[in-house]
Amino acid sequence: MMRRFQSVAGLAAVVLLAIVFSPAAADGSNIFLGAGNLTDVLRQMSVIGIIALAMTYVILTSGIDLSVGSILALATSVTALVLTRPMAGWSAGPHIGIAILAALAACAAVGAINGWVISRLAIQPFIVTLAAMIGVRGLAKWLTGNANIDIGFGQDEAAIFAAFFKQKAVVVGTFAALAAIFWVILTRTVFGRYVRAIGDNETASRYTGLPIRRVKVWVYTLSGLLSGLAGVLYAAENHQGNPNAGAAYELDAIAAVVIGGTRLSGGRGSIAGTLAGTLIMGVLTNILRLKNVDSNVEMMVKAVIIVLAVSIQKRQ
Amino acid sequence: MTELLRAEGIHKHYDGVRALVDARFSVLPGEVHALVGENGAGKSTLAQIIAGALRADSGEMAWNGQPVKVSSPADAQRLGIAMIFQELDLFPHLSVAENLVIGNLARERRPWVGFRALDDYCRPYLEAAGLKCNPRTPVHTLPIGHRQLVALARALSLNARLILMDEPTSSLSEDGVDRLFGLVQGLKRSGVSVVFVSHRMREIFRISDRITVLRDGATIGTRVTSETDVDEILAMMAGREVKDAGRQTRRVSAEVLLSVSGLTTARIHDISFELRRGEVLGVAGLVGAGRSELGAALFGMDPWTAGEVRMKGVPIRPRTPGEAIRLGIGLLPEDRKIEGLMMGMTVLENSTMAVAGRFSRAGFVRAGQEREAARQAHHGAALKRPSEDVAVSTLSGGNQQKVLLVKWLLADPEVLFLDDPTRGIDVGAKRDIYQIIERLAAAGKGILLVSSELPELLRCCDRILVLRDGRNAGLLDAKTATQEEILSLATAAHAR
Repeated sequence: MMRRFQSVAGLAAVVLLAIVFSPAAADGSNIFLGAGNLTDVLRQMSVIGIIALAMTYVILTSGIDLSVGSILALATSVTALVLTRPMAGWSAGPHIGIAILAALAACAAVGAINGWVISRLAIQPFIVTLAAMIGVRGLAKWLTGNANIDIGFGQDEAAIFAAFFKQKAVVVGTFAALAAIFWVILTRTVFGRYVRAIGDNETASRYTGLPIRRVKVWVYTLSGLLSGLAGVLYAAENHQGNPNAGAAYELDAIAAVVIGGTRLSGGRGSIAGTLAGTLIMGVLTNILRLKNVDSNVEMMVKAVIIVLAVSIQKRQ
Repeated sequence: MTELLRAEGIHKHYDGVRALVDARFSVLPGEVHALVGENGAGKSTLAQIIAGALRADSGEMAWNGQPVKVSSPADAQRLGIAMIFQELDLFPHLSVAENLVIGNLARERRPWVGFRALDDYCRPYLEAAGLKCNPRTPVHTLPIGHRQLVALARALSLNARLILMDEPTSSLSEDGVDRLFGLVQGLKRSGVSVVFVSHRMREIFRISDRITVLRDGATIGTRVTSETDVDEILAMMAGREVKDAGRQTRRVSAEVLLSVSGLTTARIHDISFELRRGEVLGVAGLVGAGRSELGAALFGMDPWTAGEVRMKGVPIRPRTPGEAIRLGIGLLPEDRKIEGLMMGMTVLENSTMAVAGRFSRAGFVRAGQEREAARQAHHGAALKRPSEDVAVSTLSGGNQQKVLLVKWLLADPEVLFLDDPTRGIDVGAKRDIYQIIERLAAAGKGILLVSSELPELLRCCDRILVLRDGRNAGLLDAKTATQEEILSLATAAHAR
């Protein structure tokens, strides 16, 4: 029980620090606590947060997924490619729908292949997803011919797409809904229990006849799918399909999961923890930027926070 | 003659289980001393304490009459004690020479290692160990028997005066055994003492000067080899306990539930038996005789190379544990922490792990139903626990074992393979587990019971299948069999 509330306590501490250290606006109000700023924090962390949700499952099975950043880039690229392709006779809605579905399908497929190779060929997840990280980045660049594809600057379907999916309510709402779904799956379903069981003790899972391979394929498929969804939001937000997007996002997502108390060796962890971990990272980035701290110093501070957060959890 | 080593009053507990109780042991200079006992008697534990690999809870040791403390392998090495472990503690990807000097490298003044000097240094020890190979060969490329010789050469290079060998012949061919014994004789002539941990009677009588028998962690006695015989040693190993009066009469149906003929995998050969409804069939044998391996074969973990298994007359061939479970076979594994339980998960989750799907609708766990079923099963297993929601790691060994058993009670297989279900648990929990076995048999299940404790097999089983070296060594009627009979079949004491 202590463990469960620990990451929340950590979040509270960071928020408190943010309030105290926040600069004041011209009218004397607290900038950090301003409604605009708070929702900005939520929006900024949503993309990493969505990836971190599925990453939590992956890490719970004692795996890792390094390919999420590249998959996000693939999603932005596919979305932009389909949106900028003239589709005579199709109205905007279905066109946008097809763009999104194509991106999600491609990303889920990459995840499924990751999972299949990991569970069938018994190669370490680190190696498989490292290979996917390289290969999928290559795929995204190849599809776009190495160029960013701008979208949504005219009056076309892409503009409708971008305008809709960059709204704070849509982005944060998507994250919140997915967090709720992933929390329910992990705590209330047989699948969620298998995820934790496999990470806790894979040998015993085998002796219990659990469908280890199937669960792993699903877990990596979900990771691909959510990275793809994060990519769709990213494309709308930035008005482009960018094959270079999402570099090092895997590290931010893993950091959020680990700060949230999920054990890197698997078996122990929670979605609530990952939410807290994501918020801690988000609030921290926000306050450092409000204080105009050099972005390089920001990285150093994050480094310290990660080690600190994990060492505090270790001690329990 | 002053004793080289004397150990007295050695006590050792693991997780509340007694491994050694007031054990004593002594070694004379230049003697070969066999340390024998059944599985779990404490032989390896005692040897490892002497070698500093384990620390005793209490007890005293003297070396050449002087009291000493051995609290690490380095301490033991300084005295001149070396151990060759059953699971050889070599570095498989380093070369033979590097393995020999790895403990001494740090003492080198120079920061680099001269390969030529290293080869020269190692050669005499390799020769003394009877190993002809290039010192630069990586150890993992050597056959297992040669790897053992590397471990022996390392012991020699430490100028050890006492070498402990834990089951050194278990992985050797007949040839290899002859060679090893030749070396042991040579060591003896040069005044080195050898402690030989084994339960192979023939080898013990061939090589040893004295024999010390351990049983249930206590020293039963020491005999001069030339003044005793196999039967006396077997009797000392087995003890004089009378058969448990609590043995229940059981009605075994004539219906054959499981029929196994000629079952062969990479680890077992040509195993045949029939298991009837309501029968408890014991599986006896030494560690490595193929007991757990038989379970692995039936449970779909090891692929079969030959043989046939019929369940109620229908041929079956499970290829995964999941298939085996669907066919009505369950397996309670030997090591509950590694193979059995998810230690970080709750009692409830572990109890229903094999059948979680049964308490679900559209993938969602129906918590009320699940809890109710688990509670009933816990009650049936006399499992007293503070709550179903605590992590299983917080329970005692006996209660953990009951959770594992409950997992299989809920899965309700027709045939249940119990691999040493009472290992390392207290008497009360043992009795509860015997009762569950009784109830399962009465309900018409077929039970295969592996146990290292012979009285347990004699008490619980209808018949006992004895395995040796992965093969059938005999099938005994438990009502008339004796411990000596089982041991004799399991150790091939009177063979050849």
